[in-house]
Amino acid sequence: MTVDESIARDGGSDHPLVEFDGVNKYFGEIHVLDDVDLAVETREVSVVIGPSGSGKSTLLRCVNRLEEIQSGEVRLDGEAVSAPDADIDRLRQRVGMVFQSFNLFPHMTALENITIGPKEVLGVPAERARDRAESLIAKVGLGGQAESYPSELSGGQQQRVAIARALAMDPDVMLFDEVTSALDPELVGEVLDVMRDLADGGMTMLVVTHEMGFAREVGDRITLMSDGRIVENTPADRFFDEPTTRRGREFLSRLL
Amino acid sequence: MSEAYEGTSEETGRDRLADDTLIRRIGEGATGLFAAALLGFLGWILVTQVDYRLLASVFPRFVEAFRLVLFIVVVSSILSVSLGTMMGLARISASPLTARVAKGYVEFFRGTPLLFQLFVIFLGIPRAWPFGAFPVGDWRIPAAIIGLTLNHIAYVAEATRGGVNAVADGQLEAARSLGMSRVQSMRKVILPQAWRNALPAIGNDQIILVKDTSLLTVIAVPEIMSVFRNVNSNQFDPWTPLVWVCLFYLAMTVSMSLLVSLLERRADWDLDDDEYSWLERLFGSGSGLGRDR
Repeated sequence: MTVDESIARDGGSDHPLVEFDGVNKYFGEIHVLDDVDLAVETREVSVVIGPSGSGKSTLLRCVNRLEEIQSGEVRLDGEAVSAPDADIDRLRQRVGMVFQSFNLFPHMTALENITIGPKEVLGVPAERARDRAESLIAKVGLGGQAESYPSELSGGQQQRVAIARALAMDPDVMLFDEVTSALDPELVGEVLDVMRDLADGGMTMLVVTHEMGFAREVGDRITLMSDGRIVENTPADRFFDEPTTRRGREFLSRLL
Repeated sequence: MSEAYEGTSEETGRDRLADDTLIRRIGEGATGLFAAALLGFLGWILVTQVDYRLLASVFPRFVEAFRLVLFIVVVSSILSVSLGTMMGLARISASPLTARVAKGYVEFFRGTPLLFQLFVIFLGIPRAWPFGAFPVGDWRIPAAIIGLTLNHIAYVAEATRGGVNAVADGQLEAARSLGMSRVQSMRKVILPQAWRNALPAIGNDQIILVKDTSLLTVIAVPEIMSVFRNVNSNQFDPWTPLVWVCLFYLAMTVSMSLLVSLLERRADWDLDDDEYSWLERLFGSGSGLGRDR
């Protein structure tokens, strides 16, 4: 199944693809997510911005339950990810995750990093997984690097392999957790280009980033977080031209 | 502390009492002297103390003991590495009961001397046997293998635990994010990396296991030290049998460390073969070994 087919599969449903419903999360005393409501529609690129420590990454990590929540509900395509009896391995197959620190498997080549998910989890035959991985490697602009180990690749190249690894599972939604923050400035562009292509191809994306140019250009919706709360959630063009809240205006003015 | 940097150059240490070359020469001088003294001592022993006729005549007895030790080492090694790896995984189990039992095991077997453990197994177990007469006639070698295995399981377990803990946290998150189960993630992602991390410590422990066989003399295993004690007390000549003791132990430990280097080399996933030869790693670069390919 290609990425496009998997998107078509979810088209026309009556509920958002990803939904946060009154979510609260604490790290000890700290209220990291404070009554969060959020919806990401199919094919939407939703960008989460905000100061460090505002809970952006935690929010993202709740979608595939890398973080547990204390109350409320996180739903993927109508199914509660946060439920105690959720089949989390199956739900995670539908959510692609890209990390700030790449987290490629260092003992596997780029190709093996990409094929291991489909082979182990979906039971895809080795040859088909390989063909698919090769086309994904070409798609992220790394033709010829299939047999390289992560330690032989630049940060930008590693991050593009990590994106291909997530895409190989044909996810319904992709999560990007500050994926360019660990990169040298000259390598940021190549990763953002891949993400832009994905967005243009209709992938549903939830993106935590500090790249405001990217947020403005690619984002459909901007969510501004501060102290664990969502303080503004508006279409991207409106957010950057005329933020409706004081916090939004303050955040933008600090960036200029 | 800033005053310390404000004195004259003599007080600050910025002047050179000795430059790098001089320090290096002093070091080389001392090393040379040490090596010369050691070789001199060795030569003197070999010339004045060793009875070469006796050396030749006791050789078959040492070979026999060596073969027995080799058998004990191979069996205990295989058992302690495989069971120790499992114990290490039990040590980091998500189940508190499993983890605690494994921790108790490790604490006990690391915390008491191997000699004590050997006595418990060799003397204690047959005495406490509850079902009539102890069924094993010659309990020495089984007791030796059981003792060495139980003891070294504890060390291999700790090495394994260290190896798993040294794998970056993000690795498990990345594997689980793909939808891999906990077991799949361990098998395909965490353990291969943990194995590489743990190899040097496990190898080190297995070399100690080889040397630990020398303790088996106290539970009457006819191993290398026993032959030495026997020859020495009959001939009043310690140096001649000690030569064989030294050579036979080194034969085992040096080949063991060669084997470990080979395994480490194989587990280094991102080293190109022509970049680095394991012979060079062993003997240091510049030895010229293993370059001709």
